[in-house]
Amino acid sequence: MFLEFVQGPLWYVSATVFVLGVSIRLWEVLSKGLKPDLSTPRADGTGGALRTIVSRSWTAEGFSRGATFHLIAGYMFHLGLFLLLFWAAPHVVFIEERILGFGWTPAPHWLFIVAADLAFAGLILLWLRRVLHPVMRRISTFDDHAGAILTFLVMFTGCMALLKGHDSLRAIHMLTVEMLMIYFPFSRLMHAFTFALSRGYTGAAMARKGVQA
Amino acid sequence: MSKDENTRKRQRYRRAWRMTWLLLAFALLVPLVPYGLAATGVQLNNPGTDLWRAVRQRVQEPTSTQVENIDGSVLINTWGEEWRNFRANLLVPGGAVLLLGTLALILLFYLYRGRIKIEGGRSGKLVPRFSVNQRVAHWFAASQFVILGVTGLVLLYGRYVLIPLLGPEGFSATAAACKAIHNLFGPIFPFALIGIIFLFGRGNWFRMLDFKWFMQAGGLFSHHIADSGYYNGGQKTWFWMTVLFGFLISASGLVLDFPVFGQGREVMAGAHLVHAVVALSFVAAALGHIYIGTLGMEGAAESMTQGYVDANWAKEHHNLWYEEMEKAGMVDVAPNALEEVKRHDVIDFKGFGSPGGKEPDAEG
Repeated sequence: MFLEFVQGPLWYVSATVFVLGVSIRLWEVLSKGLKPDLSTPRADGTGGALRTIVSRSWTAEGFSRGATFHLIAGYMFHLGLFLLLFWAAPHVVFIEERILGFGWTPAPHWLFIVAADLAFAGLILLWLRRVLHPVMRRISTFDDHAGAILTFLVMFTGCMALLKGHDSLRAIHMLTVEMLMIYFPFSRLMHAFTFALSRGYTGAAMARKGVQA
Repeated sequence: MSKDENTRKRQRYRRAWRMTWLLLAFALLVPLVPYGLAATGVQLNNPGTDLWRAVRQRVQEPTSTQVENIDGSVLINTWGEEWRNFRANLLVPGGAVLLLGTLALILLFYLYRGRIKIEGGRSGKLVPRFSVNQRVAHWFAASQFVILGVTGLVLLYGRYVLIPLLGPEGFSATAAACKAIHNLFGPIFPFALIGIIFLFGRGNWFRMLDFKWFMQAGGLFSHHIADSGYYNGGQKTWFWMTVLFGFLISASGLVLDFPVFGQGREVMAGAHLVHAVVALSFVAAALGHIYIGTLGMEGAAESMTQGYVDANWAKEHHNLWYEEMEKAGMVDVAPNALEEVKRHDVIDFKGFGSPGGKEPDAEG
Protein backbone atom coordinates (compact mmCIF):
# COMPACT_ATOMS: atom_id res chain seq x y z
CA MET A 1 0.00 0.00 0.00
CA PHE A 2 2.69 2.43 1.12
CA LEU A 3 5.01 1.28 -1.67
CA GLU A 4 2.22 1.67 -4.22
CA PHE A 5 1.58 5.20 -2.99
CA VAL A 6 5.22 6.31 -3.16
CA GLN A 7 5.77 4.58 -6.49
CA GLY A 8 2.52 5.88 -7.91
CA PRO A 9 0.79 9.17 -7.05
CA LEU A 10 3.58 10.62 -4.93
CA TRP A 11 6.18 9.84 -7.57
CA TYR A 12 4.17 11.68 -10.25
CA VAL A 13 3.54 14.66 -7.97
CA SER A 14 7.18 14.99 -6.93
CA ALA A 15 8.45 14.49 -10.49
CA THR A 16 6.06 17.20 -11.69
CA VAL A 17 7.13 19.62 -8.96
CA PHE A 18 10.77 18.87 -9.73
CA VAL A 19 10.56 19.28 -13.49
CA LEU A 20 8.28 22.32 -13.39
CA GLY A 21 10.14 23.94 -10.52
CA VAL A 22 13.57 23.52 -12.08
CA SER A 23 12.29 24.72 -15.46
CA ILE A 24 10.74 27.85 -13.96
CA ARG A 25 13.86 28.64 -11.96
CA LEU A 26 16.06 28.23 -15.05
CA TRP A 27 13.66 30.24 -17.18
CA GLU A 28 13.75 33.01 -14.55
CA VAL A 29 17.55 33.14 -14.72
CA LEU A 30 17.77 32.96 -18.50
CA SER A 31 14.94 35.41 -19.13
CA LYS A 32 16.81 38.15 -17.28
CA GLY A 33 19.27 38.20 -20.16
CA LEU A 34 22.46 40.22 -20.16
CA LYS A 35 22.90 43.91 -19.50
CA PRO A 36 23.70 45.79 -22.70
CA ASP A 37 27.46 46.14 -23.02
CA LEU A 38 28.06 49.70 -24.26
CA SER A 39 31.84 49.53 -24.25
CA THR A 40 33.96 47.73 -26.81
CA PRO A 41 34.63 44.22 -25.43
CA ARG A 42 38.30 43.57 -24.77
CA ALA A 43 37.89 39.84 -25.25
CA ASP A 44 35.34 37.33 -26.43
CA GLY A 45 32.60 36.78 -23.85
CA THR A 46 31.82 33.22 -24.90
CA GLY A 47 35.45 32.17 -24.53
CA GLY A 48 35.58 33.82 -21.11
CA ALA A 49 32.39 32.06 -20.07
CA LEU A 50 33.66 28.62 -21.10
CA ARG A 51 37.08 29.27 -19.55
CA THR A 52 35.54 30.27 -16.22
CA ILE A 53 33.15 27.31 -16.16
CA VAL A 54 36.21 25.05 -16.35
CA SER A 55 38.65 27.10 -14.27
CA ARG A 56 36.25 27.40 -11.30
CA SER A 57 36.43 23.63 -10.98
CA TRP A 58 39.59 24.03 -8.93
CA THR A 59 40.83 26.62 -6.50
CA ALA A 60 42.20 29.94 -7.67
CA GLU A 61 45.87 30.65 -7.13
CA GLY A 62 46.54 31.90 -3.64
CA PHE A 63 43.44 30.26 -2.17
CA SER A 64 44.53 26.66 -2.44
CA ARG A 65 45.60 26.20 1.20
CA GLY A 66 42.38 27.39 2.72
CA ALA A 67 40.22 25.59 0.18
CA THR A 68 41.99 22.23 0.02
CA PHE A 69 39.49 20.62 2.39
CA HIS A 70 36.51 21.81 0.37
CA LEU A 71 38.15 20.88 -2.90
CA ILE A 72 38.84 17.29 -1.85
CA ALA A 73 35.67 16.68 0.17
CA GLY A 74 33.58 18.47 -2.45
CA TYR A 75 34.85 16.29 -5.28
CA MET A 76 34.51 13.16 -3.15
CA PHE A 77 30.86 13.93 -2.53
CA HIS A 78 29.84 15.26 -5.93
CA LEU A 79 31.62 12.64 -8.04
CA GLY A 80 30.46 9.87 -5.73
CA LEU A 81 26.87 11.04 -5.84
CA PHE A 82 26.95 11.53 -9.61
CA LEU A 83 28.19 7.96 -10.08
CA LEU A 84 25.57 6.59 -7.70
CA LEU A 85 22.76 8.55 -9.27
CA PHE A 86 23.38 7.48 -12.84
CA TRP A 87 25.36 4.24 -12.63
CA ALA A 88 24.13 2.36 -9.57
CA ALA A 89 22.45 -0.79 -10.91
CA PRO A 90 19.03 -0.23 -9.25
CA HIS A 91 18.98 3.36 -10.55
CA VAL A 92 19.79 2.28 -14.10
CA VAL A 93 16.90 -0.18 -13.95
CA PHE A 94 14.58 2.49 -12.54
CA ILE A 95 15.57 5.02 -15.19
CA GLU A 96 15.00 2.41 -17.90
CA GLU A 97 11.66 1.18 -16.57
CA ARG A 98 10.13 4.38 -15.25
CA ILE A 99 11.68 7.35 -17.06
CA LEU A 100 13.53 6.91 -20.35
CA GLY A 101 12.60 3.47 -21.60
CA PHE A 102 16.24 2.59 -22.17
CA GLY A 103 19.19 2.00 -19.92
CA TRP A 104 22.94 1.53 -19.97
CA THR A 105 25.57 -0.67 -18.38
CA PRO A 106 25.63 -0.05 -14.65
CA ALA A 107 28.84 0.38 -12.66
CA PRO A 108 30.43 -2.81 -11.31
CA HIS A 109 29.83 -3.53 -7.64
CA TRP A 110 33.31 -2.47 -6.52
CA LEU A 111 32.90 0.91 -8.19
CA PHE A 112 29.50 1.29 -6.59
CA ILE A 113 31.05 0.68 -3.13
CA VAL A 114 33.85 3.18 -3.80
CA ALA A 115 31.41 5.81 -5.08
CA ALA A 116 29.04 5.33 -2.13
CA ASP A 117 31.85 5.56 0.42
CA LEU A 118 33.29 8.66 -1.25
CA ALA A 119 29.88 10.31 -1.36
CA PHE A 120 29.04 9.51 2.26
CA ALA A 121 32.45 10.53 3.59
CA GLY A 122 32.48 13.72 1.50
CA LEU A 123 28.98 14.77 2.55
CA ILE A 124 29.56 14.13 6.25
CA LEU A 125 32.91 15.95 6.17
CA LEU A 126 31.44 18.94 4.36
CA TRP A 127 28.51 19.20 6.74
CA LEU A 128 30.74 18.85 9.81
CA ARG A 129 32.94 21.62 8.46
CA ARG A 130 29.84 23.72 7.99
CA VAL A 131 28.73 23.38 11.60
CA LEU A 132 32.17 23.44 13.21
CA HIS A 133 33.94 26.22 11.31
CA PRO A 134 33.02 29.51 12.98
CA VAL A 135 32.63 31.46 9.75
CA MET A 136 30.95 28.66 7.83
CA ARG A 137 28.51 28.22 10.69
CA ARG A 138 27.61 31.91 10.64
CA ILE A 139 27.01 32.12 6.90
CA SER A 140 25.01 28.88 6.76
CA THR A 141 21.24 29.05 6.64
CA PHE A 142 18.45 26.59 7.29
CA ASP A 143 18.44 25.81 3.58
CA ASP A 144 22.06 24.64 3.63
CA HIS A 145 21.43 22.27 6.50
CA ALA A 146 18.10 21.04 5.12
CA GLY A 147 19.65 20.30 1.73
CA ALA A 148 22.57 18.43 3.26
CA ILE A 149 20.41 16.43 5.67
CA LEU A 150 17.84 15.53 3.00
CA THR A 151 20.59 14.41 0.65
CA PHE A 152 22.12 12.33 3.43
CA LEU A 153 18.74 10.75 4.18
CA VAL A 154 18.25 9.87 0.53
CA MET A 155 21.67 8.22 0.37
CA PHE A 156 21.26 6.53 3.74
CA THR A 157 17.85 5.05 2.95
CA GLY A 158 19.19 3.96 -0.44
CA CYS A 159 21.95 2.15 1.40
CA MET A 160 19.35 0.57 3.72
CA ALA A 161 17.49 -0.81 0.73
CA LEU A 162 20.58 -2.33 -0.89
CA LEU A 163 19.80 -5.93 0.02
CA LYS A 164 16.44 -5.70 -1.78
CA GLY A 165 13.85 -8.28 -0.72
CA HIS A 166 12.13 -5.77 1.58
CA ASP A 167 9.60 -3.50 -0.13
CA SER A 168 9.26 -1.36 2.99
CA LEU A 169 12.93 -0.31 2.77
CA ARG A 170 12.60 0.53 -0.92
CA ALA A 171 9.45 2.52 -0.15
CA ILE A 172 11.28 4.54 2.53
CA HIS A 173 14.04 5.31 0.03
CA MET A 174 11.52 6.37 -2.60
CA LEU A 175 9.80 8.61 -0.04
CA THR A 176 13.01 10.45 0.85
CA VAL A 177 13.89 10.81 -2.83
CA GLU A 178 10.48 12.36 -3.48
CA MET A 179 10.85 14.72 -0.51
CA LEU A 180 14.17 15.85 -1.96
CA MET A 181 12.68 16.29 -5.44
CA ILE A 182 9.91 18.49 -4.06
CA TYR A 183 12.35 20.54 -1.99
CA PHE A 184 14.99 20.79 -4.72
CA PRO A 185 13.66 23.65 -6.92
CA PHE A 186 13.09 25.90 -3.90
CA SER A 187 16.55 25.47 -2.45
CA ARG A 188 20.22 26.05 -3.07
CA LEU A 189 20.38 22.53 -4.40
CA MET A 190 19.48 24.25 -7.67
CA HIS A 191 23.22 24.89 -7.99
CA ALA A 192 23.33 21.46 -9.64
CA PHE A 193 21.83 23.23 -12.69
CA THR A 194 22.74 26.90 -12.17
CA PHE A 195 26.46 26.52 -11.44
CA ALA A 196 27.31 26.62 -15.13
CA LEU A 197 25.09 29.67 -15.74
CA SER A 198 26.57 31.51 -12.79
CA ARG A 199 30.17 30.78 -13.72
CA GLY A 200 29.47 31.49 -17.39
CA TYR A 201 27.85 34.85 -16.65
CA THR A 202 30.75 35.95 -14.45
CA GLY A 203 33.33 34.66 -16.93
CA ALA A 204 31.71 36.40 -19.91
CA ALA A 205 31.29 39.71 -18.09
CA MET A 206 34.87 39.70 -16.82
CA ALA A 207 36.28 38.66 -20.19
CA ARG A 208 34.56 41.61 -21.90
CA LYS A 209 36.08 43.90 -19.29
CA GLY A 210 39.49 42.34 -19.80
CA VAL A 211 39.61 40.97 -16.28
CA GLN A 212 40.93 37.50 -15.55
CA ALA A 213 38.13 35.77 -13.69
CA MET B 1 -7.27 -83.10 2.82
CA SER B 2 -6.18 -85.77 5.42
CA LYS B 3 -5.54 -84.98 9.07
CA ASP B 4 -1.81 -85.70 8.74
CA GLU B 5 -1.51 -83.34 5.90
CA ASN B 6 -3.16 -80.58 7.96
CA THR B 7 -0.81 -81.21 10.85
CA ARG B 8 2.23 -81.00 8.57
CA LYS B 9 0.97 -77.81 7.08
CA ARG B 10 0.49 -76.23 10.54
CA GLN B 11 3.97 -77.35 11.53
CA ARG B 12 5.46 -75.75 8.42
CA TYR B 13 3.55 -72.59 9.16
CA ARG B 14 4.85 -72.49 12.73
CA ARG B 15 8.39 -73.15 11.52
CA ALA B 16 8.14 -70.26 9.07
CA TRP B 17 6.99 -67.93 11.85
CA ARG B 18 9.80 -69.06 14.12
CA MET B 19 12.33 -68.41 11.35
CA THR B 20 10.87 -64.98 10.73
CA TRP B 21 11.08 -64.06 14.42
CA LEU B 22 14.60 -65.41 14.63
CA LEU B 23 15.70 -63.40 11.59
CA LEU B 24 14.08 -60.28 12.99
CA ALA B 25 15.77 -60.76 16.36
CA PHE B 26 19.07 -61.40 14.60
CA ALA B 27 18.69 -58.24 12.49
CA LEU B 28 17.96 -56.20 15.58
CA LEU B 29 20.69 -57.68 17.72
CA VAL B 30 23.55 -57.77 15.22
CA PRO B 31 24.19 -53.98 15.31
CA LEU B 32 24.53 -54.25 19.06
CA VAL B 33 27.37 -56.73 18.76
CA PRO B 34 30.11 -54.07 18.29
CA TYR B 35 28.87 -52.31 21.42
CA GLY B 36 28.89 -55.53 23.28
CA LEU B 37 32.38 -56.29 22.03
CA ALA B 38 33.51 -52.77 22.78
CA ALA B 39 32.25 -53.22 26.30
CA THR B 40 34.41 -56.28 26.59
CA GLY B 41 37.44 -54.38 25.21
CA VAL B 42 37.50 -55.89 21.71
CA GLN B 43 38.19 -53.25 18.96
CA LEU B 44 36.36 -53.47 15.63
CA ASN B 45 37.03 -51.13 12.70
CA ASN B 46 34.02 -49.44 11.10
CA PRO B 47 34.69 -49.31 7.36
CA GLY B 48 33.28 -45.75 7.27
CA THR B 49 35.42 -44.52 10.13
CA ASP B 50 38.39 -43.47 8.03
CA LEU B 51 36.20 -41.63 5.56
CA TRP B 52 34.26 -39.70 8.19
CA ARG B 53 37.38 -38.98 10.18
CA ALA B 54 38.89 -37.51 7.03
CA VAL B 55 35.75 -35.49 6.44
CA ARG B 56 35.62 -34.16 9.98
CA GLN B 57 39.31 -33.41 10.14
CA ARG B 58 39.17 -31.68 6.79
CA VAL B 59 41.84 -33.93 5.24
CA GLN B 60 41.80 -32.86 1.63
CA GLU B 61 43.13 -36.03 0.01
CA PRO B 62 40.12 -38.35 0.14
CA THR B 63 37.67 -35.60 -0.74
CA SER B 64 37.37 -34.05 -4.16
CA THR B 65 34.80 -31.84 -5.78
CA GLN B 66 34.02 -30.29 -9.10
CA VAL B 67 32.98 -27.08 -7.35
CA GLU B 68 35.88 -24.67 -7.68
CA ASN B 69 35.56 -22.65 -4.54
CA ILE B 70 37.38 -21.84 -1.32
CA ASP B 71 36.48 -24.62 1.11
CA GLY B 72 34.43 -26.24 -1.69
CA SER B 73 35.66 -29.71 -0.71
CA VAL B 74 34.86 -29.28 2.98
CA LEU B 75 31.80 -31.31 3.93
CA ILE B 76 31.84 -30.68 7.66
CA ASN B 77 33.49 -27.59 9.12
CA THR B 78 34.10 -28.58 12.72
CA TRP B 79 35.68 -25.21 13.50
CA GLY B 80 32.41 -23.63 12.44
CA GLU B 81 30.65 -25.46 15.25
CA GLU B 82 33.20 -24.13 17.72
CA TRP B 83 32.67 -20.64 16.36
CA ARG B 84 28.88 -21.02 16.58
CA ASN B 85 29.16 -22.18 20.18
CA PHE B 86 31.49 -19.32 21.02
CA ARG B 87 29.11 -16.80 19.47
CA ALA B 88 25.97 -18.17 21.09
CA ASN B 89 27.30 -19.14 24.50
CA LEU B 90 30.10 -16.68 25.19
CA LEU B 91 30.12 -13.69 22.89
CA VAL B 92 26.46 -12.70 23.04
CA PRO B 93 25.93 -13.10 26.80
CA GLY B 94 29.48 -11.95 27.63
CA GLY B 95 29.11 -8.84 25.47
CA ALA B 96 25.78 -8.04 27.08
CA VAL B 97 27.33 -8.34 30.53
CA LEU B 98 30.21 -6.11 29.44
CA LEU B 99 27.97 -3.38 28.00
CA LEU B 100 25.32 -3.45 30.72
CA GLY B 101 28.04 -3.72 33.36
CA THR B 102 29.78 -0.66 31.95
CA LEU B 103 26.51 1.28 31.99
CA ALA B 104 25.90 0.16 35.57
CA LEU B 105 29.41 1.26 36.61
CA ILE B 106 28.87 4.63 34.96
CA LEU B 107 25.56 5.00 36.78
CA LEU B 108 27.19 4.06 40.09
CA PHE B 109 30.00 6.53 39.47
CA TYR B 110 27.46 9.22 38.64
CA LEU B 111 25.54 8.50 41.85
CA TYR B 112 28.79 8.60 43.85
CA ARG B 113 30.49 11.59 42.27
CA GLY B 114 27.70 13.44 40.50
CA ARG B 115 28.57 15.78 37.69
CA ILE B 116 32.14 16.97 38.04
CA LYS B 117 31.65 20.72 38.24
CA ILE B 118 34.11 23.46 37.50
CA GLU B 119 35.14 24.09 41.12
CA GLY B 120 35.87 27.75 40.63
CA GLY B 121 32.77 28.28 38.52
CA ARG B 122 32.88 29.62 35.00
CA SER B 123 35.38 32.44 34.67
CA GLY B 124 33.97 33.72 31.39
CA LYS B 125 37.51 33.62 29.99
CA LEU B 126 38.04 31.21 27.12
CA VAL B 127 41.09 29.22 26.10
CA PRO B 128 41.40 27.74 22.60
CA ARG B 129 41.72 23.95 22.81
CA PHE B 130 40.91 22.07 19.59
CA SER B 131 41.24 23.35 16.01
CA VAL B 132 38.48 23.05 13.43
CA ASN B 133 40.36 20.25 11.69
CA GLN B 134 40.73 18.32 14.93
CA ARG B 135 37.04 18.71 15.70
CA VAL B 136 36.01 17.69 12.18
CA ALA B 137 38.24 14.61 12.46
CA HIS B 138 36.78 13.79 15.88
CA TRP B 139 33.14 14.10 14.85
CA PHE B 140 33.74 12.34 11.56
CA ALA B 141 35.18 9.36 13.40
CA ALA B 142 32.41 9.65 16.00
CA SER B 143 29.70 9.63 13.33
CA GLN B 144 31.18 6.50 11.75
CA PHE B 145 31.56 4.91 15.17
CA VAL B 146 27.92 5.54 16.07
CA ILE B 147 26.58 4.30 12.72
CA LEU B 148 28.75 1.17 12.79
CA GLY B 149 28.25 0.60 16.51
CA VAL B 150 24.46 0.82 16.42
CA THR B 151 24.09 -1.31 13.30
CA GLY B 152 26.60 -3.84 14.65
CA LEU B 153 24.75 -4.13 17.95
CA VAL B 154 21.47 -4.61 16.08
CA LEU B 155 23.05 -7.47 14.14
CA LEU B 156 24.38 -9.07 17.33
CA TYR B 157 21.51 -8.44 19.74
CA GLY B 158 18.56 -7.57 17.50
CA ARG B 159 17.24 -11.12 17.60
CA TYR B 160 16.82 -10.87 21.38
CA VAL B 161 15.82 -7.22 21.72
CA LEU B 162 14.05 -6.20 18.52
CA ILE B 163 11.98 -9.27 17.58
CA PRO B 164 9.71 -8.79 20.61
CA LEU B 165 9.28 -5.13 19.62
CA LEU B 166 9.13 -5.26 15.83
CA GLY B 167 8.10 -8.83 15.16
CA PRO B 168 10.01 -11.21 12.86
CA GLU B 169 9.13 -9.28 9.67
CA GLY B 170 10.10 -5.92 11.14
CA PHE B 171 13.33 -7.30 12.50
CA SER B 172 14.14 -8.95 9.19
CA ALA B 173 13.89 -5.61 7.38
CA THR B 174 15.81 -3.82 10.15
CA ALA B 175 18.58 -6.43 10.13
CA ALA B 176 18.84 -6.29 6.33
CA ALA B 177 19.11 -2.50 6.45
CA CYS B 178 21.68 -2.61 9.25
CA LYS B 179 23.78 -5.20 7.45
CA ALA B 180 23.86 -3.12 4.28
CA ILE B 181 24.72 0.05 6.22
CA HIS B 182 27.37 -1.69 8.32
CA ASN B 183 29.06 -3.18 5.26
CA LEU B 184 28.94 0.04 3.27
CA PHE B 185 30.14 2.39 6.02
CA GLY B 186 32.78 -0.04 7.27
CA PRO B 187 35.48 0.87 4.73
CA ILE B 188 35.18 4.56 5.66
CA PHE B 189 36.20 3.94 9.28
CA PRO B 190 39.92 3.24 8.60
CA PHE B 191 40.18 6.66 6.96
CA ALA B 192 38.50 8.30 9.94
CA LEU B 193 41.02 6.49 12.14
CA ILE B 194 43.92 7.84 10.07
CA GLY B 195 42.52 11.35 10.55
CA ILE B 196 42.41 10.81 14.32
CA ILE B 197 46.00 9.51 14.38
CA PHE B 198 47.32 12.44 12.35
CA LEU B 199 45.46 15.18 14.16
CA PHE B 200 45.59 13.85 17.72
CA GLY B 201 48.81 11.81 17.67
CA ARG B 202 51.12 14.60 18.77
CA GLY B 203 51.25 14.96 22.51
CA ASN B 204 49.74 11.55 23.21
CA TRP B 205 52.96 9.75 24.17
CA PHE B 206 52.91 8.71 27.80
CA ARG B 207 55.15 10.55 30.24
CA MET B 208 56.01 10.10 33.89
CA LEU B 209 53.39 12.72 34.66
CA ASP B 210 50.70 10.41 33.36
CA PHE B 211 51.64 7.58 35.68
CA LYS B 212 51.27 9.96 38.60
CA TRP B 213 47.89 10.86 37.12
CA PHE B 214 46.96 7.16 37.07
CA MET B 215 48.16 6.71 40.66
CA GLN B 216 45.66 9.35 41.71
CA ALA B 217 42.99 7.87 39.37
CA GLY B 218 42.97 11.23 37.68
CA GLY B 219 41.28 12.74 40.71
CA LEU B 220 38.02 11.12 39.67
CA PHE B 221 37.35 9.86 43.19
CA SER B 222 38.58 12.94 45.00
CA HIS B 223 38.17 16.63 44.51
CA HIS B 224 41.87 17.07 43.85
CA ILE B 225 42.46 16.75 40.11
CA ALA B 226 45.88 15.37 39.30
CA ASP B 227 48.47 17.44 37.40
CA SER B 228 48.16 17.17 33.66
CA GLY B 229 49.41 18.71 30.44
CA TYR B 230 47.46 19.10 27.20
CA TYR B 231 46.21 15.51 27.42
CA ASN B 232 45.88 13.63 30.71
CA GLY B 233 46.60 9.93 31.25
CA GLY B 234 43.00 8.94 30.66
CA GLN B 235 42.82 10.79 27.36
CA LYS B 236 46.09 9.26 26.23
CA THR B 237 44.82 5.79 27.16
CA TRP B 238 41.65 6.41 25.17
CA PHE B 239 43.71 7.61 22.21
CA TRP B 240 45.86 4.47 22.16
CA MET B 241 42.83 2.27 22.69
CA THR B 242 41.25 3.97 19.70
CA VAL B 243 44.36 3.32 17.62
CA LEU B 244 44.68 -0.34 18.67
CA PHE B 245 40.98 -1.20 18.61
CA GLY B 246 40.48 0.86 15.47
CA PHE B 247 43.25 -0.98 13.65
CA LEU B 248 42.02 -4.43 14.73
CA ILE B 249 38.39 -3.65 13.97
CA SER B 250 39.27 -2.17 10.57
CA ALA B 251 41.51 -5.05 9.51
CA SER B 252 39.07 -7.74 10.64
CA GLY B 253 36.13 -5.79 9.20
CA LEU B 254 37.75 -5.54 5.78
CA VAL B 255 38.41 -9.29 5.80
CA LEU B 256 34.71 -9.86 6.50
CA ASP B 257 33.42 -7.19 4.15
CA PHE B 258 35.34 -8.31 1.07
CA PRO B 259 35.46 -12.12 1.03
CA VAL B 260 36.90 -12.18 -2.46
CA PHE B 261 40.59 -12.53 -1.70
CA GLY B 262 40.70 -16.24 -1.03
CA GLN B 263 39.88 -16.17 2.67
CA GLY B 264 38.12 -19.35 3.75
CA ARG B 265 35.61 -20.03 6.49
CA GLU B 266 38.24 -20.37 9.21
CA VAL B 267 39.75 -17.01 8.37
CA MET B 268 36.30 -15.45 8.25
CA ALA B 269 35.29 -17.01 11.57
CA GLY B 270 38.55 -15.84 13.14
CA ALA B 271 38.05 -12.34 11.75
CA HIS B 272 34.50 -12.32 13.10
CA LEU B 273 35.74 -13.36 16.52
CA VAL B 274 38.35 -10.57 16.62
CA HIS B 275 35.89 -8.06 15.14
CA ALA B 276 33.13 -8.80 17.64
CA VAL B 277 35.31 -8.95 20.76
CA VAL B 278 37.17 -5.76 19.88
CA ALA B 279 33.98 -3.97 18.82
CA LEU B 280 32.23 -4.76 22.10
CA SER B 281 35.29 -3.64 24.08
CA PHE B 282 35.50 -0.49 21.95
CA VAL B 283 31.82 0.34 22.50
CA ALA B 284 32.15 -0.27 26.26
CA ALA B 285 35.18 2.03 26.46
CA ALA B 286 33.42 4.63 24.29
CA LEU B 287 30.49 4.69 26.73
CA GLY B 288 32.92 5.94 29.37
CA HIS B 289 34.42 8.46 26.96
CA ILE B 290 31.00 9.77 25.97
CA TYR B 291 29.88 10.01 29.60
CA ILE B 292 32.89 11.92 30.85
CA GLY B 293 32.84 14.17 27.80
CA THR B 294 29.20 15.19 28.22
CA LEU B 295 27.07 14.47 31.28
CA GLY B 296 29.93 13.56 33.58
CA MET B 297 31.98 16.73 33.43
CA GLU B 298 30.93 20.34 33.18
CA GLY B 299 32.76 22.27 30.49
CA ALA B 300 34.32 19.30 28.69
CA ALA B 301 32.00 18.96 25.69
CA GLU B 302 32.51 22.52 24.49
CA SER B 303 36.15 21.79 23.70
CA MET B 304 34.88 19.55 20.91
CA THR B 305 31.83 21.58 19.93
CA GLN B 306 33.14 25.15 20.16
CA GLY B 307 36.89 24.56 20.23
CA TYR B 308 37.22 26.59 23.43
CA VAL B 309 37.18 25.73 27.11
CA ASP B 310 36.63 27.90 30.13
CA ALA B 311 39.86 29.07 31.76
CA ASN B 312 38.87 27.61 35.12
CA TRP B 313 38.14 24.23 33.52
CA ALA B 314 41.56 24.31 31.88
CA LYS B 315 43.18 25.33 35.17
CA GLU B 316 41.50 22.50 37.07
CA HIS B 317 41.82 19.66 34.57
CA HIS B 318 44.93 20.52 32.57
CA ASN B 319 46.80 22.86 34.90
CA LEU B 320 50.21 22.53 33.26
CA TRP B 321 48.79 23.22 29.80
CA TYR B 322 46.85 26.16 31.22
CA GLU B 323 50.06 27.68 32.66
CA GLU B 324 51.63 27.34 29.23
CA MET B 325 48.68 29.04 27.58
CA GLU B 326 48.74 31.81 30.13
CA LYS B 327 52.42 32.45 29.44
CA ALA B 328 51.66 32.52 25.71
CA GLY B 329 48.91 35.08 26.29
CA MET B 330 46.26 32.74 24.98
CA VAL B 331 43.84 33.01 27.88
CA ASP B 332 40.77 35.19 27.52
CA VAL B 333 41.11 35.70 23.82
CA ALA B 334 37.75 36.93 22.51
CA PRO B 335 36.32 34.23 20.30
CA ASN B 336 35.18 36.45 17.47
CA ALA B 337 35.00 34.97 14.02
CA LEU B 338 38.09 36.67 12.65
CA GLU B 339 40.25 35.54 15.55
CA GLU B 340 38.95 32.01 15.23
CA VAL B 341 39.72 31.89 11.55
CA LYS B 342 43.23 33.12 12.20
CA ARG B 343 43.76 30.52 14.86
CA HIS B 344 42.27 27.58 13.06
CA ASP B 345 43.16 28.11 9.47
CA VAL B 346 46.21 30.31 9.30
CA ILE B 347 48.16 29.74 12.47
CA ASP B 348 46.61 26.32 13.04
CA PHE B 349 47.51 26.20 16.72
CA LYS B 350 51.27 26.18 16.21
CA GLY B 351 52.97 27.69 19.22
CA PHE B 352 49.74 27.86 21.17
CA GLY B 353 50.86 25.37 23.74
CA SER B 354 49.07 22.60 21.90
CA PRO B 355 50.67 19.17 21.69
CA GLY B 356 53.27 20.60 19.37
CA GLY B 357 54.53 22.77 22.20
CA LYS B 358 56.73 21.56 24.98
CA GLU B 359 54.74 19.85 27.65
CA PRO B 360 56.34 19.97 31.09
CA ASP B 361 56.85 16.55 32.54
CA ALA B 362 56.78 15.53 36.16
CA GLU B 363 60.38 16.47 36.70
CA GLY B 364 60.06 19.73 34.82
